[in-house]
Amino acid sequence: MSVAAAPRRASPAQTGLRYGPVLVAAIAFALPIFWVLVTSLKKQSEYGSALFPAVPQWVNYELAVVLADFGRFAANSLFLSSAYALLAVLVSALVGYGFARHKAPGGSKLFLLVIATWMVPNLVLFVPQFVLFARIGITNTYWPWILWGLSGSPFAIFLFRQFFASFPRELDDAAEVDGAGPLRIFLQIYLPNAGPALAASAIFMFLWVWGDWLYPALLLHQENTTLAVRMANAYVDPRGNPLQTVTMAGVVLYVLPLIAFFAFAQRFIVRGIVTTGIKG
Amino acid sequence: MAGATHVFPQAWPRSAAWRRRGFRRALTFYLLISPWLIGFVLLGAIPLAGAFVMSFTNYDGLNLDYLSFVGADNYTRALGDADAQYALGRTLLLMAFVVPVGLALQLALALMVNQKIQFSNFFRTIFYLPYVIPVVASVWIWKIFVDPTGGLLNALIGTVLPEANIRWLVEYPTAVLALLTVWAAAGGGMVVFLAGLQGIPAEYREAAMIDGASRTQVTRYITLPLLTPVIFFNLVTGIIVALQILVQPMLLSPGILGLNPGTVPPRDNYLYAVHAYIEIFTKQLFGYGSALLWVLFAVVLGLTVLLFKTSRRWVFYGVEP
Repeated sequence: MSVAAAPRRASPAQTGLRYGPVLVAAIAFALPIFWVLVTSLKKQSEYGSALFPAVPQWVNYELAVVLADFGRFAANSLFLSSAYALLAVLVSALVGYGFARHKAPGGSKLFLLVIATWMVPNLVLFVPQFVLFARIGITNTYWPWILWGLSGSPFAIFLFRQFFASFPRELDDAAEVDGAGPLRIFLQIYLPNAGPALAASAIFMFLWVWGDWLYPALLLHQENTTLAVRMANAYVDPRGNPLQTVTMAGVVLYVLPLIAFFAFAQRFIVRGIVTTGIKG
Repeated sequence: MAGATHVFPQAWPRSAAWRRRGFRRALTFYLLISPWLIGFVLLGAIPLAGAFVMSFTNYDGLNLDYLSFVGADNYTRALGDADAQYALGRTLLLMAFVVPVGLALQLALALMVNQKIQFSNFFRTIFYLPYVIPVVASVWIWKIFVDPTGGLLNALIGTVLPEANIRWLVEYPTAVLALLTVWAAAGGGMVVFLAGLQGIPAEYREAAMIDGASRTQVTRYITLPLLTPVIFFNLVTGIIVALQILVQPMLLSPGILGLNPGTVPPRDNYLYAVHAYIEIFTKQLFGYGSALLWVLFAVVLGLTVLLFKTSRRWVFYGVEP
């Protein structure tokens, strides 16, 4: 036990004080999630009558996939989230590199503008964008997300600027002597060394689109919408009664890839830091 | 080329070559940031200007034929709108609970998992998990948790008070909304606090301990003052987010069947952003709704400026050692 290294040996009371609150908090945080898992394994007839399922009903997960055309909406979400994350991260890295390494009149004022766009409430910006998208006829398509991706994200631009500003300038000078232009320096020196920042921002961009309900609900229609919008509606039996158990199975399936992705990517971020030798 | 300008910088300060180089540098910069700049103009500046103009019109979102300027009518109407006032009141009430309680919880969680304890990574993951769960899923999680029929909360209460069968989403919708908000945001704030805690040099705490300070005293007089910039950051972002809460109350309707963009939340959860949303997307009052949103922006901006003003009194921006 690492505690043994401390000068004072912990008494049982101290151990209780140390672990008690954190355990209580962890249980309180996990309880609602635990309950969704339990509910997703119940028979519909057990919902409201039995606390726990007599036999785990894994068939609910099968039903959640079959009854909602789950695969199609998941594919829509996957495409939209990946396309946006890929574009936004690459563009933000390029723009962040521009702000970190190149000077021009007005440059620092423009960077303040990047930060200022953060302050504007989402809805204030979205409502006129919605009108614009409707006017040029790209509602019900994925173009809004492509356009958002192509213009980068203020948050990621800020992140990449800070990240690239810490790179040693000698690398640029050496490459410039070799005749490399700014774009080549970005592609061959900065981008390959930005693993952790790329991974971290890509995850959050992906998460944002996968989890967003408002924009797809307003911009897309029933057929091409995302899983988030589909999951906002409960599963029903043929008579229109809600199936809470199957709905919870669907919710678990909707969230699970995200958590798996997070767990996987977290390791990648750590490895990125180790292999590049660059600290964030 | 680089050598020439370096050797005689004074001799030809405005030579053609020098100017060309400066121009080329500027051009490189603007080319590199052009995706953002173009995006900012087309998707940021122009729509925002449009929204501002829109707030002085009767625009219905569809038809330009009946468009006319109504002057400041939308704003005078917004200030006299009883629904808007009620909604703003509910929003401020929610904020007054969610922000301080949320901050205290985030700080407590960070202090707890920052100790040398077993499984600290496991605990961090548990607390962080709700933060990455999408809003639709977290609303379902809480809907089912507090459901009078199959929810765990009433089952637990039922072991003590068998008669109490509380319909949470009908009787106490704001309490559920507040819990959901605090639960979902805790992990994000905790991580920021954790980073702040790890930025405090251990020597400070050790020195105080050697001088005989208790654990509580160290937290109160060393850790907390050094953490005030992080507290300030989380406070500002917390308030900005709380004032804009929209999707959670809309999705948290008492019905179990789900939701569509036209759902109106129960009166208790009728928040300001919800009101603006309904005026715009349900009633198609784009002009009036835009005015409501600019008022919200003004409130957000005003509160932020106020916080920055008070920050000089209590935020401790470190002294050089």
